[in-house]
Amino acid sequence: MHLKLLVLSASSVMLWLAPLTALDKNLDIHKALQGLSLTAAIACAVTAGNIARKQSEQNEIEEIKTRAITADVVDEIATSAYISQQQRQQEAEQILNPREHLERSLALTCDDDSDLETIVQKELVEREQNGSENGESERAERIMQLKAKGWGKAKIILEIWGVTKGGSPKYKAAEAEYKRLVEEEEK
Amino acid sequence: MRAMYLANYFLSGCIAFSLLGWVASLHPHAFRAVLCLLAATAIIWCLSWLLDFSLSSALKISVSDLQAYLIAAGAMFLVGLGVYLCT
Repeated sequence: MHLKLLVLSASSVMLWLAPLTALDKNLDIHKALQGLSLTAAIACAVTAGNIARKQSEQNEIEEIKTRAITADVVDEIATSAYISQQQRQQEAEQILNPREHLERSLALTCDDDSDLETIVQKELVEREQNGSENGESERAERIMQLKAKGWGKAKIILEIWGVTKGGSPKYKAAEAEYKRLVEEEEK
Repeated sequence: MRAMYLANYFLSGCIAFSLLGWVASLHPHAFRAVLCLLAATAIIWCLSWLLDFSLSSALKISVSDLQAYLIAAGAMFLVGLGVYLCT
């Protein structure tokens, strides 16, 4: 295609300049030849221009495709990074023991060391009793908040349980719990 | 590639003006006809420069593009007729 383009461009220049410089304008036959060659030169130049324009448009389309693919890849990477960050955060929250939280908060508020252990024990017993109920109610509350914001089921499950959509047993368990909590809240 | 197609269209314009010169050299009547055509073209060209903003909005192209086309048309005229007359 490039060769054709170059040949057409070069021939149009030659057909334009060569007859005008080489042939005599006073002779009729020469004049006719000049007219013919000029017409042929215009045809060559226009054809070459059309070919080059088509090529240029194709190149532009290819560039757009490449840019779209790059953007897709970047988006994919960003999404996976976001999901892994969420999972790490979830894991970190699970690792942090509630006992530790309580001890820290009590250490800030209470100065007496002898009372501390008894208070901690009492608090822990209360917390274990209410823990599951509170956790569920907090989750249910959070689900309703997110639903009010217009979030979808999969997004809410990802946010609260840190599980991505799929056929994994973790996701199924989270989905079942989600349904149960929503039904309870709706009642 | 974009430069290539613009160069080819410019070249075809130059050759078209040379062909116009060749037509003008065929007969005195043809010469007058070509002269009238060139005069009309020159008037339109000047008016386009004067009304470039309204023309660009009517043609839905930017003013700089319109000015580029007008300059290219002027250059085609000069190169095409110049080549024909000088050879």
